[in-house]
Amino acid sequence: MKVHVKNWHAIAQWRWDTGASDVDDDGEGDVCGICRVPYEGCCPSCKMPGDDCPLIWGECSHVFHMHCLLQWISTSASKQQCPMDRRPWVTAERKVDANAAR
Amino acid sequence: MATEALKRQIAGKWQNAFARLNRDQEGITGLLAFSEAWALATEFLHPRDLNGSMANKELDMVKVRLAVETLSKSKMLPILLENFLEDMRKQQYLITRDVNQFMLQYEETEDVHHIARLVYRILEWYRAWVPITELGHTILSAYTLTFQTHVYSILPPSFSRGFKKLVNATFDLAQSPVPPPWLPPTPPALQSPVPPPRPDLPLWSAFEQLGLLDRYESLISSVCYEHIEAHILETCSKRWGERMLQPLREWMTNRIVPWMVMPYARGARSAEEARSMLQGVGSRFDFHVCKTLSDLRTREIFDIIIDFPDSQPALEDLKECLQRVDQRTQLVQTLRKANRKRLLHPGADTKDILTQYVSIIRCLRLVDPPGVLLFKVADPIRRYLRERPDTIRCIVASLVGDGESGDSLVDENEPIQPLQQMQVEDYTDPSWEPEPIDAGPDFRTNKPSDVISTLVSIYDSKDLFVRELQVLLAQRLLAITDGNFDRERRNIEILKIRFGEAALQVCEVMLRDMTESKRTDQHVQSQKHMMLHPTIISRHFWPPLQAGKFAMPGQFKLIQDDYAREFHSFKQDKKLRWLPHLGTIRLEIELQDRTIPVDVPPLEAAFIELFSEKDTWTVDELIARVGSVDRSAAIKSLTTWVDMGVLKEEISNQYVLLEVAEDGSSVSTGGAPPRPARVIEEVSAVLTVEQQQAEQMRVYWKFIEGMLTNLGTLPLDRIQTMLKFAPGYDRTIEQLGAFMEAARREGLVTVANGMWKLSRT
Ligand SMILES: [Zn+2]
Ligand SMILES: [Zn+2]
Ligand SMILES: [Zn+2]
Repeated sequence: MKVHVKNWHAIAQWRWDTGASDVDDDGEGDVCGICRVPYEGCCPSCKMPGDDCPLIWGECSHVFHMHCLLQWISTSASKQQCPMDRRPWVTAERKVDANAAR
Repeated sequence: MATEALKRQIAGKWQNAFARLNRDQEGITGLLAFSEAWALATEFLHPRDLNGSMANKELDMVKVRLAVETLSKSKMLPILLENFLEDMRKQQYLITRDVNQFMLQYEETEDVHHIARLVYRILEWYRAWVPITELGHTILSAYTLTFQTHVYSILPPSFSRGFKKLVNATFDLAQSPVPPPWLPPTPPALQSPVPPPRPDLPLWSAFEQLGLLDRYESLISSVCYEHIEAHILETCSKRWGERMLQPLREWMTNRIVPWMVMPYARGARSAEEARSMLQGVGSRFDFHVCKTLSDLRTREIFDIIIDFPDSQPALEDLKECLQRVDQRTQLVQTLRKANRKRLLHPGADTKDILTQYVSIIRCLRLVDPPGVLLFKVADPIRRYLRERPDTIRCIVASLVGDGESGDSLVDENEPIQPLQQMQVEDYTDPSWEPEPIDAGPDFRTNKPSDVISTLVSIYDSKDLFVRELQVLLAQRLLAITDGNFDRERRNIEILKIRFGEAALQVCEVMLRDMTESKRTDQHVQSQKHMMLHPTIISRHFWPPLQAGKFAMPGQFKLIQDDYAREFHSFKQDKKLRWLPHLGTIRLEIELQDRTIPVDVPPLEAAFIELFSEKDTWTVDELIARVGSVDRSAAIKSLTTWVDMGVLKEEISNQYVLLEVAEDGSSVSTGGAPPRPARVIEEVSAVLTVEQQQAEQMRVYWKFIEGMLTNLGTLPLDRIQTMLKFAPGYDRTIEQLGAFMEAARREGLVTVANGMWKLSRT
């Protein structure tokens, strides 16, 4: 017997590739430390998740909604620091290829 | 000594009497003339037997008149009358005999002909015995009174029945150009030089002369009432498609009013006089028309509503009738009762209840624009709907034009408008009750006027609707395989107007996911052509999906990985997570002797893929290979292939591939390839709101279990009160009741007299 696939309508969810090994995570997922909304949700000023409300990675390994972090950084109280560890915020270069070659 | 005085007195009286009788004539000539006059007058007046000799007729009327004059001068008329009445009493048996004979015939045959003959016969007696007018009005009325008293005293009860029938027959008589055969000939006394224009007129004359009109006034009215009722029932029952009130009024004018002239306006000397005489009674009969039609439509109201809009004319009639007669309370009560009996019962479909409710809204607004009637009828329906678990789903399905379930609740002509917030009526408030007077002063303020707002207002909040909308939309979007979701987009646009943009934001994300998936797929396919076309969804924005975790084996796994890789290289900061149990796969199963095209759910595909590795598998082996699948789902999937003749259950729980079809089950391979069999069952990928709630309710089971362990038995309201201490508990007592009922079915608890307890204690 041969099984030929002619057409496959599948359902999938997208996840941010945060580098964490949360492949089997069924829960709410990690939340943005600033707005407490899951990464795959969107920040309070956005309505569409995903590409419209991307994440930003810090060298310190903390991840936020980009809009949340930019808003935070723009306040004087932030002193340009990461809100979680108070280290100076440095946006990380993402090494996407390493993940892609999984 | 007294004797002397008495003698004198008698002598005096005699003198007086003599003088009176002799009328100052010479000698006793006056007296002689008096005797002669008395003899003639009494002979003339003597109530003769109609069946006997007609000699009296030959008396010289001039002499009779002279004799009466003589007696009158002698002031002897009262005595003549007394004598006459006495003679009458002696002769009454003649009438009695006739009456009994006619009534006997009537009772035997129930033929109204005998009643007509009887009436005419009595009239003959009356006319035969009537004194001449010269005797004066007093004698005439004394005669009439005595005659009628006697006749009425001998008429048996069956006469009323017969008379009623006869009066009823006059409706037809009034319409006949010639007298029907059953009608007896008009007696000579009622004959006129020109024949009467209507055969019923002599009867009416007879009725009047015999005093029957007065005596049976209410009976005659009731005949007319019943005639009207019968006519309305006959012409209007179940005829809802046209206005009936106006034709009925025309019928009254053409048929009943001319008839009414005889019983009610016989004495009129001019048309003007007749009109004024008929006015009062006419208005009573018009009222009766409205009342009868209104009663009929009230009895039919439930079916009239089902028939709406075809039955709109009937409702317009009802509206007009209700302005004339106050039958509104009856209408409300009848409809409430019919709703209770025919609509608000477990056997009725929620969809049907809603459809009827919407029709009730439309119909009662038509009958009573201020909405008082609707207000009173709607309350029990709304309460009932609130307790039904699938009410919201039905409303929502209708909102988005659920093509399969027939008529939409929403009138296409009704403008789409934002939901109108309504004042929350607290029907659970013990002091709340429908107003006893017809219209409360402020009952209508803040009442929504459009149907959707009215339906949504069954519930206190619209959030439930929005959640149900999301579920429905998700179900539909995930089922779309051709990438065309224009209909859902249009629906969302409409719903945004109703529920507001913010409430529908999540749905916007769902639609965006659909377009994004299509775009992504176009890109992936351009890189590497694949049979896989996924819908990629944003979690948190879709309603919870059915759980299910298994790994697609073999080539399916390879395809998934290929696609995921292409996706990741396109969207570098994202990755894909498959929901393997959802979706549909079109396969072609190529066997030694046949090729089978088929659309299957993923688990079926996974299993058949494994059979391409080896021919024989046990259920346990299969489950072990794909991961977590429950046994019943596995067996169901295998059965799909067994039904198609691809697999066979060789021994219990062990299946074998049929490379060559077994006898009789061969699928034809010649000619056109068979269309793919669709075995996609209608199990939805998306959890319904109900299922979601049941899932959450399980969390509270521990609390309930603890309570019942410690306290033994508890009524539902105590459990509800105590659960309020549980974090995040927000269920209604109805929801708790449904949950406890489910727990009872599972054997966890028992209930007796409203007290719940754990089963194991
Ligand atoms: Zn955030
Ligand atoms: Zn944002
Ligand atoms: Zn940090």
